[in-house]
Amino acid sequence: MPILQLLSDIPVTGSTTDYAPIALQLFFAIGFIATMLIASGLIGPKRKTADKLENFASGIPSHGDARQPIAIKYFLVAILFVLFDVEVIFFYPYAVNFKGLGWTGFVEVILFTSFFIIGFIYIIKRGALNWEE
Amino acid sequence: MNALILSAVWGIILMFCSILVKNKKAIGYIAAFGLLTILIGNIAETYGTQITHYNIYPMLLLDRFGLFFNTIAILSVFIFVLLSLIEIRKTGKYEPEFYTLIFFVICGITILTSYQNLLMLFLGIEILSIPLYILTGSDKKNLKSNEASLKYFLMGAFSTGIMLLGIALIYGGTGTFNLQPGTHSVVGTYHGISFLEITGLIILMCAMAFKASVAPFHFWAPDVYDGAPTPVTSFMATIVKVTAFLAFFKLCEVRVTDTLTAVNWKMIFAVMIVATLFIGNITAIFQQSVKRMLAYSSIAQAGFMMYAIFSLNDVAKEGLLYYAMAYSLATIGLFATMSKIKDYSFEGYNGLAKKQPTLAATNAIFLLSLSGIPLTAGFFAKYYMLASVIKTGSYTWLVIVGVCFATISIYYYFRLIQAMYFKTGNPDTIDHEITPFFKNMLIVVAVFIVLLGAFPQLLLNWFYF
Amino acid sequence: MNALVLCIPLLPFLGFLLVGLLRNKLSRPLIGIIASGVIGIAFILTLVIFFTHYYPANAITYFDFIKNSKYDISFSFQVDQLSTLFMLIITGVGFLIHVYSTSYMHDETPAHYARYFSYLNLFVFSMLLLVLGANYVIMFLGWEGVGICSYLLIGYWFKNNQYNYAARKAFVMNRIGDVGFLLAIFWLLARLGSVDYSIVFSNASALSTTDVTGITILLFVGAIGKSAQIPLYTWLPDAMAGPTPVSALIHAATMVTAGIYMIARSNVLYSLSPVSMDIVAVIGVATALLAASIALFQNDIKKVLAYSTVSQLGFMFVALGVGAYTTGVFHVMTHAFFKALLFLGAGSVIHAMGGEQDITKMGGLRKKIPITYWTFLIAVLAISGFPFTSGFISKDEILLAAYSHSKPLFWLTAFAAVLTAFYMFRVFMLVFLGGFRGNDEQQHHLHESPPAMTIPLIILAILAAIGGFVQLPELFGGHDYFNQFLAPVVPALSHEGENLATKEYALLGGTIVGLIIIFLFCKKWFAVNQFEGKYTGFKNVLAHKWYMDELYDAIIVNPFNNIAGFLKSIVEKSGIDGIVNGVGRFIQYSSRQVRLIQSGLVGNYILIMVLSITVLFMVFWNQDLIIAFLQKIF
Repeated sequence: MPILQLLSDIPVTGSTTDYAPIALQLFFAIGFIATMLIASGLIGPKRKTADKLENFASGIPSHGDARQPIAIKYFLVAILFVLFDVEVIFFYPYAVNFKGLGWTGFVEVILFTSFFIIGFIYIIKRGALNWEE
Repeated sequence: MNALILSAVWGIILMFCSILVKNKKAIGYIAAFGLLTILIGNIAETYGTQITHYNIYPMLLLDRFGLFFNTIAILSVFIFVLLSLIEIRKTGKYEPEFYTLIFFVICGITILTSYQNLLMLFLGIEILSIPLYILTGSDKKNLKSNEASLKYFLMGAFSTGIMLLGIALIYGGTGTFNLQPGTHSVVGTYHGISFLEITGLIILMCAMAFKASVAPFHFWAPDVYDGAPTPVTSFMATIVKVTAFLAFFKLCEVRVTDTLTAVNWKMIFAVMIVATLFIGNITAIFQQSVKRMLAYSSIAQAGFMMYAIFSLNDVAKEGLLYYAMAYSLATIGLFATMSKIKDYSFEGYNGLAKKQPTLAATNAIFLLSLSGIPLTAGFFAKYYMLASVIKTGSYTWLVIVGVCFATISIYYYFRLIQAMYFKTGNPDTIDHEITPFFKNMLIVVAVFIVLLGAFPQLLLNWFYF
Repeated sequence: MNALVLCIPLLPFLGFLLVGLLRNKLSRPLIGIIASGVIGIAFILTLVIFFTHYYPANAITYFDFIKNSKYDISFSFQVDQLSTLFMLIITGVGFLIHVYSTSYMHDETPAHYARYFSYLNLFVFSMLLLVLGANYVIMFLGWEGVGICSYLLIGYWFKNNQYNYAARKAFVMNRIGDVGFLLAIFWLLARLGSVDYSIVFSNASALSTTDVTGITILLFVGAIGKSAQIPLYTWLPDAMAGPTPVSALIHAATMVTAGIYMIARSNVLYSLSPVSMDIVAVIGVATALLAASIALFQNDIKKVLAYSTVSQLGFMFVALGVGAYTTGVFHVMTHAFFKALLFLGAGSVIHAMGGEQDITKMGGLRKKIPITYWTFLIAVLAISGFPFTSGFISKDEILLAAYSHSKPLFWLTAFAAVLTAFYMFRVFMLVFLGGFRGNDEQQHHLHESPPAMTIPLIILAILAAIGGFVQLPELFGGHDYFNQFLAPVVPALSHEGENLATKEYALLGGTIVGLIIIFLFCKKWFAVNQFEGKYTGFKNVLAHKWYMDELYDAIIVNPFNNIAGFLKSIVEKSGIDGIVNGVGRFIQYSSRQVRLIQSGLVGNYILIMVLSITVLFMVFWNQDLIIAFLQKIF
């Protein structure tokens, strides 16, 4: 039986053959990429020079170490900002459903808010936002 | 609910202790008191007293089994804190935060013992894990601790990804996040169960196996346990690990039974058990550091706890509770002692019996319990596990494998006893930290282990009443 | 009253703990007082029971000993006439021997002195447990307890390896018997589900003949070991390695009679099995003859007494075997008196001779140690059956019972009795009459023992002389008090319809004539100034104990040693050691290899984890294939 015919009449029953098209596609996809890579590696011309191994930095000669230390305070402030920013996002869905959620929803949001206010107080008291120290 | 609310509140209180309480020594006792209130709150709930009656059913369900496990876990944390007071104080200016994180971990534990929804499982696992990433790195100046923390975080993030993938696939297969799916999809099925669901379950189980450090997903465990500060290792290797097992058990109890018509799960579990026992026990033999040996031993013990998940019957359920208690107590005691000894290698223990007879004697009991010698809790723990497999009626060879590896485990446990009792040396102990209170606590734990070993029904009877 | 009963065995146990644990702290007199005192109090308590007739119908249960769904074995005591009699003997004679020991063992250092007394107290405790137990398991506890005490005391002078070997021999021989006893207990448990005397005896008739015979024979195997009968008797003569008071207490008066106690206690079972009874009787008479013949030509005073004990135990088994249980028990009592007296007397003689035990080197001690002489004489007369001593009355009864059972048995037993008289007179003459044959130093050393030793001798002598009157035959104006006393527990042999008077007169006459003849011959041969002590021909065979030890060595010990040597040097060294060490080395090797997977690189870990998930998937979806494959392999 030709392969294409096999693919065309798949019975609608639960069996592994359901996934045969996917497997076939995977096979061809991987096979194609592999063939291309191997072929270009074999056929293509090879010139190994020092310039070619140099990092490309938009034409400017590279200098210094890429792994430079950056003050941890930047990260701290940034991550705290992201934290509180994301929490504020929760107010948008709540605002939309304000009436529908009623008093229960109100109490829940008050709880939620108080939690991160407590967190905020803790951060300030602990001095996480003190830039000078 | 009591334990969940109380532990969150106490976490916040401890957080503010860092600002408000000036007396350093008080913090440890405040935390211990907090744990006591959580313990009482949880026991009160077991007998029907609750703080609130908020309806949480579709998300969480607090059943007897979960509540009882909470009691065991909180009690273990309590003992852990009492034994590690001095160690935690030594972490410097972050002591209150240390306790805060532990309280948040307890939040995670209470969620994991009661989840009814895969999202809650995910939340619980994350609440459990994230504080641990920080705790692992709590020794800020120590490079090993930093390395361990980073490794743990990277691999933990990977496993989280796997877990989410699994949950997503299950959702695709059943259309619900509920632990107990009402219906199964009819499209693309295998004996009435969706392929997506089965695939998702396998992936989810792999992620759970990662959390419980079951081979072949155990790789993080030895490195992290070795690098983390000793009290954190103690906490991770015991309470957190058995909680992960409990969550794993809850998942399998529902899902494996549910899909039993289509697929047989025994084989995959059997492979995991044998791999875990093999790697844990065999690798532990050659370790030169006691801490690393205990890390591998905890993997080996995980292999035994996997028997409960393999058999999934009543004996397994009881046995898991029993194993959690027996294993946690003994390991906590061993790590607590280790933190009083400067040299973690086997040589560092040489002649401990001469210098610190109490420590050596209690440690010998803990080691005997871990190796499953009768009259200690460890014996009945292993017994329950193997009995549960026998009760399933098949796979008897697994029991034989278990017994063989238990025999091998005696080698490395007794190596430590040998070092303490039969070798001469002058162990470098931190004597001023070995207070009478510390010694008495160790004795209490040892006596408890022997009591559990002599009267195994003591614990389980309480479970039923 | 129940607590009082419990006190009787507990007191010696307390003494054992006190003396044993504080052995480095207590002084010698204090040790003696504590050790003897607890036995004395126990004796008084036993007397209280005896005089108040406190014999509860049911066993006194203290606590559950072994309890499961099938069996309920309780720790309980049976206080009745039989156990009370034995308790009287144990604590009474035991007390006298303790007092005697305080003086006899005086040369030991305090720590060893305390060790000796703690063992002795432990022995009394175990023996009391043995006779008090209300079921076979408690009896077995005591049975093992006395075994271990006997072992410890035989090897008391543990620096001499010969003594240790003797102790080991005694232990092993006893263990062989114990196996029989244990099997009997298991058999009872399997058939009746209980080992309580009351239940076993009331249900005994429900057992089949095979069961009863099997159980009784196995019980008798236990008795053979403990009471030194053929073929397990050889340990008892060797057991004389222990201190002499130990020989008196354990290897004459009490422990070795445990077998008689057990059979008397189980009389209901034995009465159901004529086969077992015959075996008991035959082994008894054979042992009596064999041991008596060996005793004829022994030169060690304690060896003679040891063989005499074996022989006398044989008499008791004859009595039990013909159904005269009370007579057997009666002989236990009289034997306890005169044999303890003989041993203590021998101890006194050895004490006087400065440790010399060879009777060829003694002689003429009559004048030097008069008290010992007179008491020894009474004991010799009693054991030889001189009319109206205790030995006469009990042996007379045994012979009568044997006569009414079977004629050949009677004649063999009577011949053994003649031999008994002969060897006892021989010892007596060689030790006390004639001229002194030792060296000058010993002659100079000769002296009478201190009062702590002579007073027990005198008391025992009185008992040996008149102790038999409780069972004086009616013919001579007595009443069978003893049989009536034991009647609720052990039935007596009935002599109804027999012409007792003629037989008793015949026995009395025969005894007197026989004794006079033996006395005259012995006086001629042994009351001499010079005695060679070397034997040729058949006498030499007897002097070498029929070469029994050599025989056992050749057919049992040596083959076992050879097999053990083969297993040790060939099978274990190359076979088992090789396997065990090989497994160990393999595991260590694999440990070294497996360890390498843990590279420490997160990338590697995650790669392996992902690969593992893939492998797990493959395993999962092909598990049927894998299982089929595995099933094909295995």
